[in-house]
Amino acid sequence: MNETLEKRSMGLRASRTISNTIIYVILIVMSVVWLIPFFCIVLQSFRIESTWQVGYVIPRQWGWDNYRALWNSDFKRWYLNTFIIALAVAALQTIIVLCMSYTLSRFRFKMRDGLMRFMLILGMFPGMLTMIILYRVLKDLGLTQANAVPGLILVYVASSGMGYYVSKGFFDTIPKSLDEAARVDGATRAQVLYKIILPLAKPIVIYTILTAFMAPWGDFVFAKYVSFGTSAGMNVAVGMWSWLQQDMIGQKYTMFCAGGVIVAIPVTILFMCLQKYYVEGVTGGAVKG
Amino acid sequence: MASVKLTKVKKVYDNKVVAVHDFDLDIKDKEFIVFVGPSGCGKSTTLRMVAGLEDISGGTVEIDGEVVNDLQPKDRGIAMVFQNYALYPHMTVYDNIAFSLRLQKVPEDVIYEKVTNAAEILGITDYLMRKPRALSGGQRQRVAIGRAMVRNSKVFLMDEPLSNLDAKLRNQMRAEIILLRQKLDTTFIYVTHDQTEAMTLGDRIVIMKDGYIQQVGTPTEVFEMPKNLFVAEFIGAPKMNIMRTELVAEGGKYFVTPFGAKIEVDGEKGKALAAKGQKSAAIDLGVRPEHIVLAKQGEGIPCVLEVNEMMGSELHLHVYTEDGTRLIVRVPTIGLDPAERESLVQGKKLFVTFEGKVMHFFDTESGENLLND
Repeated sequence: MNETLEKRSMGLRASRTISNTIIYVILIVMSVVWLIPFFCIVLQSFRIESTWQVGYVIPRQWGWDNYRALWNSDFKRWYLNTFIIALAVAALQTIIVLCMSYTLSRFRFKMRDGLMRFMLILGMFPGMLTMIILYRVLKDLGLTQANAVPGLILVYVASSGMGYYVSKGFFDTIPKSLDEAARVDGATRAQVLYKIILPLAKPIVIYTILTAFMAPWGDFVFAKYVSFGTSAGMNVAVGMWSWLQQDMIGQKYTMFCAGGVIVAIPVTILFMCLQKYYVEGVTGGAVKG
Repeated sequence: MASVKLTKVKKVYDNKVVAVHDFDLDIKDKEFIVFVGPSGCGKSTTLRMVAGLEDISGGTVEIDGEVVNDLQPKDRGIAMVFQNYALYPHMTVYDNIAFSLRLQKVPEDVIYEKVTNAAEILGITDYLMRKPRALSGGQRQRVAIGRAMVRNSKVFLMDEPLSNLDAKLRNQMRAEIILLRQKLDTTFIYVTHDQTEAMTLGDRIVIMKDGYIQQVGTPTEVFEMPKNLFVAEFIGAPKMNIMRTELVAEGGKYFVTPFGAKIEVDGEKGKALAAKGQKSAAIDLGVRPEHIVLAKQGEGIPCVLEVNEMMGSELHLHVYTEDGTRLIVRVPTIGLDPAERESLVQGKKLFVTFEGKVMHFFDTESGENLLND
């Protein structure tokens, strides 16, 4: 009796080890495939013997030349633009999304369902459809080309109220009696939001900030046509794209790689610090926080 | 310390469902009022309207003579304890209790004094620096009460505060609430679905059903003089036995004739019936289980024992009569002969009779007590 039990448990252990091994091997292979391009870009950014694309990966001469060249180019301006846009959008969009989610989660008003349905349907149209009309509006407001930064902030923030789904879902899991207790205790609705709900919804707040920061950080299409060829209004993606044109790529390829590394740094740091919350936020709807 | 007056208070939800119908009640200063009723009877809704957590669809709520219909909860001078405690999970017990005082910008040293004082009374001093999740249910409920205590509010509202506790703890907390009430000496409105809680805690009990008040009265009143069948069956455990029978007026005396027996209605009840000039009629007769007594073999109503529940100090005998009506009989074990007690097994033939002084008579149509004013 005992022997068969032991055998069975050994079999269980063995099969678990095998399946774990298989899973790890697959994961390792996937991450290697995933990481190779990044690895190449980092190596290329330190290559100084030629600015051209070459047929090998490991540089023959190493140095900081490409980064120095970045410092002396328009890149500084683009980077600053991108940073300003992303920060402003992260701040404004987070405030709007959280207020919107709180409202939809806690208040019952006429047309609430209608509004939610309307926004759901509106969100199904690709944003690109609005490109031409948005450009006209921004141009009339004088917010294109050299003034593209405020223009882009406006574009990104304008529709942010529609991104309430995840955080509303999370807020819904926080018992309403907490709001009620706080209101009896003397809190206003706003105090309920920032003293009770937001501290409890920390993962989702961080998730919202991160996504709000990321979208404009990597945006190309909108940034491209709003800046419309004026270097002063470009973000990094649009600016660096100009280095990949046929007439430029020969001189700028390694600088492009160095730029790529610099662009990735803040986002990587952000993610490393906040990934715990990010994962909680993504799965937050299912698991009560 | 305040009176609360509800006048024609009504709650209609958006989907036209009426949860509370014209609720009229005068709550005196320092009174302990209990709203009791089955789920969905509107008791919590009424309490929440007093608290300001629910809009009032019609009528007025006055606290201390001031109409508070349009005041925010925080401006009504109330404190509330919730069924699920509603403690702020990210704050320590101390911060939970101090929350309302901090919002009022009370100086920290005063807050410290009040919080420690409340903790002392509730016996939670050792847990002040813990988070709510590290507390047991009973401790959490104490914190919730502490949070309400420090507000020095005029009216103390409690929405089924003991429902989430296990039976033993519930009994203990019930006693503590009585003590707390003596210490706080303020007006209480307490909501529960448990008639025992209502009976033990309330100065007066408001019994509700389907959004209507069925009866308002002291525990003794509602127990001894239930206004209708619903109250009669709701108050008291095990519940009152109800049977359809005849009330016979004969030469100035009254008799009931359940299951072929003829039992005289004597005492106050008989006089009251006579004073009303009650005629013979079909009635619903209500007899509490403790008012049915075992009779000698061959006397009274014959029936068969189905279940014998041993409760310790008493037996609950579930019996059925010849026509199949089920009755519950409550027999104290103290006067019972051990041999007789052992003989009470399933299938045993028993004879029971009713105490004539303490019977209740209800109209078969309306269910109203025939002795209502």
